[in-house]
Amino acid sequence: MASDKIGAVMVVGGGISGMQSALDLADSGYKVYLVEKQPSIGGTMAQLDKTFPTNDCAMCIMAPKLVATGRHHNIDLITNAEVAIVDGQAGNFSVTVKQKAFRVDPTKCTGCGSCAQKCPIETTNEYDENTKVRKAIYVRYPQAVPLVYSIDPDRCIGCGICSEECKAKAVDYDQKEKVLEIKVGSIIVSPGFDEFNARLKTEYGYGVYKNVVTSIEFERILSATGPYMGTVLRPSDGDIPEKVAFIQCVGSRDEHCGNEYCSSVCCMYSTKEAIIAKEHGGNIKPSIFYMDMRAFGKEFDEYYNRAQNEYGIRYVRSRVAAVSEDPRTNNLKIRFVENGEPKEEEFNMVVLAVGLRPPADNENLSRIMKFKLNEDGFAQTGVFTPVETSRPGVFVSGAFSAPKDIPMTVAEASGAAAKAGTEVATARNTLVTKKEYPKETNVEGQEPRIGVFVCHCGINIGGVVNVPEVMEYAKSLPNVVVSEQNLYTCSQDTQEKIKEKIKEHKLNRVVVASCTPRTHEPLFQNTIREAGLNAYLFEMANIRDQCSWIHMHEPKAATKKAKDLVRMAVAKSRLLEPLESLTLNVNQSALVVGGGVSGMTAALELAKQGFKVHLVEREKQLGGNALKLHFLPSGDDPVAFVKQLDKQVTSNPNITVYMNAKIKNIDGYVGNFKTTLESGEQMEHGAVILAIGGEEYKPVGEYLYGKNKNVMTLLEFKDKLSKGEAKGNEYVFIQCVGSREDKHPNCSRVCCTGTMSAAKKIKEKDPNAKVWVLYRDIRTYGFREKYYKEASQAGVKFVRFEDKEKPKVEEKAGKLEVSVKDEDTGKNIEMKPDYLVLAAGTRPQEDAGKLAPMCKVPQTKEGFFLEAHMKLRPVDFATEGIYLAGLAHGPKFLDESIAQALAASARAVTVLSKKTLEAEGIVASIDETLCDGCGMCVPVCEYKALEVVADKKDPKKKIVEVNVGLCKGCGACVGTCPAGALTQKGYKDTQIYAMIDAALEGDKPKQEVKE
Amino acid sequence: MNSEAVHAGSHGGDGGSEHFEPKILVFCCNWCSYAGADLAGVSRLQMPPYFRTIRVMCSARVDPEFVIRAFEKGADGVLVAGCHPADCHYIGGNYRTRRRMALMKMLIQQFGFDPDRLRLEWVSAGEGEKFQKTIIEFTNTVKEMGPTPYKGGV
Amino acid sequence: MAEAQHAISEAKHDEKAGSWEPKIVGFLCNWCSYAGADLCGVSRYQYPTNIRTVRVMCSTRISPHIVLDLFKAGADGILLGGCHIGDCHYISGNFYTEKRVRLMKKLLEDAGVDPSRLRLEWVSASEGEKFSKVVTEFTDHVRKLGPSAVKKQEAAKAKVMAADDASVTFRLRALVGKEYNLETKGNVYKNTLDKAELEKLIDVATMDEFERSLILVLAKGKSRSVKELGSIMEVPTDKVLRHIVVLRQKNLISMEHPEGFTPTYRTIEIGGEQ
Repeated sequence: MASDKIGAVMVVGGGISGMQSALDLADSGYKVYLVEKQPSIGGTMAQLDKTFPTNDCAMCIMAPKLVATGRHHNIDLITNAEVAIVDGQAGNFSVTVKQKAFRVDPTKCTGCGSCAQKCPIETTNEYDENTKVRKAIYVRYPQAVPLVYSIDPDRCIGCGICSEECKAKAVDYDQKEKVLEIKVGSIIVSPGFDEFNARLKTEYGYGVYKNVVTSIEFERILSATGPYMGTVLRPSDGDIPEKVAFIQCVGSRDEHCGNEYCSSVCCMYSTKEAIIAKEHGGNIKPSIFYMDMRAFGKEFDEYYNRAQNEYGIRYVRSRVAAVSEDPRTNNLKIRFVENGEPKEEEFNMVVLAVGLRPPADNENLSRIMKFKLNEDGFAQTGVFTPVETSRPGVFVSGAFSAPKDIPMTVAEASGAAAKAGTEVATARNTLVTKKEYPKETNVEGQEPRIGVFVCHCGINIGGVVNVPEVMEYAKSLPNVVVSEQNLYTCSQDTQEKIKEKIKEHKLNRVVVASCTPRTHEPLFQNTIREAGLNAYLFEMANIRDQCSWIHMHEPKAATKKAKDLVRMAVAKSRLLEPLESLTLNVNQSALVVGGGVSGMTAALELAKQGFKVHLVEREKQLGGNALKLHFLPSGDDPVAFVKQLDKQVTSNPNITVYMNAKIKNIDGYVGNFKTTLESGEQMEHGAVILAIGGEEYKPVGEYLYGKNKNVMTLLEFKDKLSKGEAKGNEYVFIQCVGSREDKHPNCSRVCCTGTMSAAKKIKEKDPNAKVWVLYRDIRTYGFREKYYKEASQAGVKFVRFEDKEKPKVEEKAGKLEVSVKDEDTGKNIEMKPDYLVLAAGTRPQEDAGKLAPMCKVPQTKEGFFLEAHMKLRPVDFATEGIYLAGLAHGPKFLDESIAQALAASARAVTVLSKKTLEAEGIVASIDETLCDGCGMCVPVCEYKALEVVADKKDPKKKIVEVNVGLCKGCGACVGTCPAGALTQKGYKDTQIYAMIDAALEGDKPKQEVKE
Repeated sequence: MNSEAVHAGSHGGDGGSEHFEPKILVFCCNWCSYAGADLAGVSRLQMPPYFRTIRVMCSARVDPEFVIRAFEKGADGVLVAGCHPADCHYIGGNYRTRRRMALMKMLIQQFGFDPDRLRLEWVSAGEGEKFQKTIIEFTNTVKEMGPTPYKGGV
Repeated sequence: MAEAQHAISEAKHDEKAGSWEPKIVGFLCNWCSYAGADLCGVSRYQYPTNIRTVRVMCSTRISPHIVLDLFKAGADGILLGGCHIGDCHYISGNFYTEKRVRLMKKLLEDAGVDPSRLRLEWVSASEGEKFSKVVTEFTDHVRKLGPSAVKKQEAAKAKVMAADDASVTFRLRALVGKEYNLETKGNVYKNTLDKAELEKLIDVATMDEFERSLILVLAKGKSRSVKELGSIMEVPTDKVLRHIVVLRQKNLISMEHPEGFTPTYRTIEIGGEQ
């Protein structure tokens, strides 16, 4: 069997989802083919200006992933390509991929952009949503990966100018479409989504009125790299709009346009766009017209509160009927109903919050890959199988299975990577390559012999900076034994030349003066490594991006600067030392804390991939909260699912389950943890997954809870209902009990849908029962909107109450009486329910506070674990080797917990699949003779890599120890050390001083240089 | 009137000996500001050529002593550029930078320097234009202040 | 082409004397038209004195910039004389001339100058009489059109300046330079392009480059808003804004934020991509 499996995975779609899947798999011993339709990867996230709820710059957080994906030697990027045929079955697929012609040779194109500057054909660019222009030869965006230009066949007139301009001779007009046959064991589909076509909502005038834009267009308008360079202007006349209206649910929750589902992200992105617009110019007054504010994610409600209270964003609860334009001013009149009264208001600009649609080629994908779509055209998945399509071996992640935000997308991407990896786990490490390098030359004690290579970059540098002069100047610098110039230093032949020069001149340091180290340093480091030099004996001077390109009209000053930059680089290189990347052994087993659905899922997935797992559960049975759900609105049976999971877990030989067990201590670091249970049992493992769950809030003292036995929480009521013990004629549900309040400002995410589920059940059993739901916002996001609709249709009455006017509950003669002011009508409603159900919020598990310091991981104000990054590292902690999943992270649904648990397992596999880990070469190191153990540096380290320990030589003395397994090499600690004992390898004080001195000493060559 | 910073090249050719060319040292963090400076280049945003950049992994690596060293060696201005407060690649490094730089400003004032000769600025990877603006403005500020008062010796 | 400029400034001098006389410059190719003009003289055919002729080796020597620069200086009419199609001494020079003249006329039209102030005529070495007829007719025609508005109206001058600036952009030079070959010999994919479609594409590019150049002329030394530019240029403001987006991308114009809600733009005087 094992031999049939192919240790490679194909990922279709190179947005943030596809990149995450590809990186996780490639880091776990699988070969990855990443197929992307566009000429470059990045997807929708690359278009975003900022991200909620942290207002992080999207490109800043995404660029490192782009570069890592582009550079990974086990990821083959196949861009400009689409899947045509999928044959075979899980474990052994044969995929035909058609790659369109770039008409540019990617191996020759250096991405310099001279071609596009001269191309005479203009067209609007898709990346900026057609608000800017691009040429017929183009890259999608400046940071694109791969940075290869391509010719747009629909626009090119074939004039030949780009070929004339290209000094690298990369333009190839005869390039043809390529057909590739690729064998893989599993496939992940992550093609993302399309925006709803706003033109279909004719009443809003998109495409007719110039100042009506879509939210994604507005995103580009906000961006510093967008059409207006970050100033918000309206398209009709370039004025800064004072009043901006956001209209929500355009193409969502709307049966007229065929999309009944909620798009899940629009409430938040509009809030974000309103905040950012406000930050750009204090005079902008945004108003958001919405139906329900669906701020259901982690810390989203706090963000929403800040938008209202700190930024003064106005929220109007109303569905906008129509927009019309004043043709004289191009202002827009909005008609809406507020508090039952029709109103009209004028705005300078309108932003339509367009919903998410399945990608246009959804049916094509489903036909080619043979998986089912759901009724809305998204990929069909199940509650218990959130990343699986209907075809075995084909997995799905991201917005293609349902509209969702970035963190959930990233979690699913890792989750799909876990499943795809499990499918071919027996073939792990069969197709990946490891680079073999020659033995490193020992340069210790040698006088520095520096080689300098100055790049023309076609005319990009040479057209401004006098490259021959810089090259000659470099020869005059101390220790420089050879200085050369190249047309393109990054080209393949130049790499060979650099290697020859290293041999010929016995170079032990190399300086390249060309473009930016951010993209090219690894290439040159690899070259010198191939020539037997340690990779860290390399230094770069950025004389293009940060010199010739920004001083284009001052060639002399730019040349002077280039010389200074070379002098600085040479000065540093003289002091460079070979750095060793330390190798850490990895214990290839994991600890999973918590035996709920998340913990069991994670444990099982790890076990299936062949790793030993210790599963620790504090209760006497596995299953956790899922057992209390009883029934799901989808009709699936959670209890049966838990039982089946339990059976698989307990029967898996790779899993050791510890029942009634509590953690006493966790020690160590990535690859090498040691855990002690309270029972005294000890275990060693390489990774930790925290899946300790959460619990339902017990609202003692609220709404007579604890006083009247017919007042109960939602889970308590579901228990009674499923047992047939709840019998009555009238039921009242109160939402947001213990959520969205002062002490617990955030939404508990699941209660609205849980309420729909219970309300529907009541109505199914007794259609005549009176069911009231008293709510603030209904947050049945995504396809859950369907349950809301079904409940309404079944006759459940929804009454909205104002945040400040909570319902009143009294007990009169043993009977419950509830009264509430209906916010929509202003009238008071009296109810006499048999049962009062409180949709109580989700709280962190009480053990979270004990585990957090043991694992050195942070918690939110509310006590949930706080992940490394809210957007892009949803299941990681900053401390490597520790991951989280499920309710321990925050309230969420079963399918979301399962996706996260799978994700956590995939992330853990990136560590566990390796026998050894290579630590970063650039790390902090400590001079033990100088360190006095004061510990000032310890709290400075965000990665908990520093610790005060007893000196081994002199146990009375304390010193700080650097754990290189945890150090990320930022250098923050170095500046803190009062004794000067800490240093950062590769960025030592002496090295930086050398650069400072060189920068400021002026142009003083040791001999006269002829101009 | 708040004019957008513009640098169109130094007028009167490539600088005669009579006009002051400030020596400005810029520390950029690798992940945001250095990337922002690169983006300025990719976007061909023009700016005065008097600054020299030193790349560090995180702005928190910028030791106060680096700043002192720079002024001691005759720098007319020092700019430290890092990620926006919440964007730090190393989680919270730049919060420390902010505190350190506030202290440094007080310190250099004690040495007789105008505290404006040291500037801290947040520049994200997407803010090529902000990098340009910062360089233009800071160059102008330093030009107005004239050459460093430091004459060597301690 | 200093001699042509000189002819115009000389004519300017005359103007002060009183009644207006059209100032016309003729560019004649050495091998056909100039010889034709000579023959005209030898045969004593008469024509008005307004024309000042400049001899060039081939009619392709006359770049749009030379012509537009003369209009900028106040020329009332410009006549280009070349060999008949097929007779060019330099084989295909006059094919390119035709394309260039099309661009010039388009730019003149965009700039609000009657394009018939520029005339291209094929005059062979043996067509002395034709030369006299052409000059006479053209002089009459220009006389009917009246004096060029350039000298009197700043706005008219700005437009001609913009047309001139547009004519030297790489984009238009490249398109018009390649136009003939793309239509006849084929492009890099070995396809010939449809004449009408290519002309349409070039006309759109010409209009864009003209309008962008005009924005730069108008915002030179004077900060202007989109609405202001739109009303001076008689171009819809959304289109002006789209041009400004391109010009800012190329570092040719910068935004200023006065108080209030209307940003203004000023041309960056040195630098930028061209």
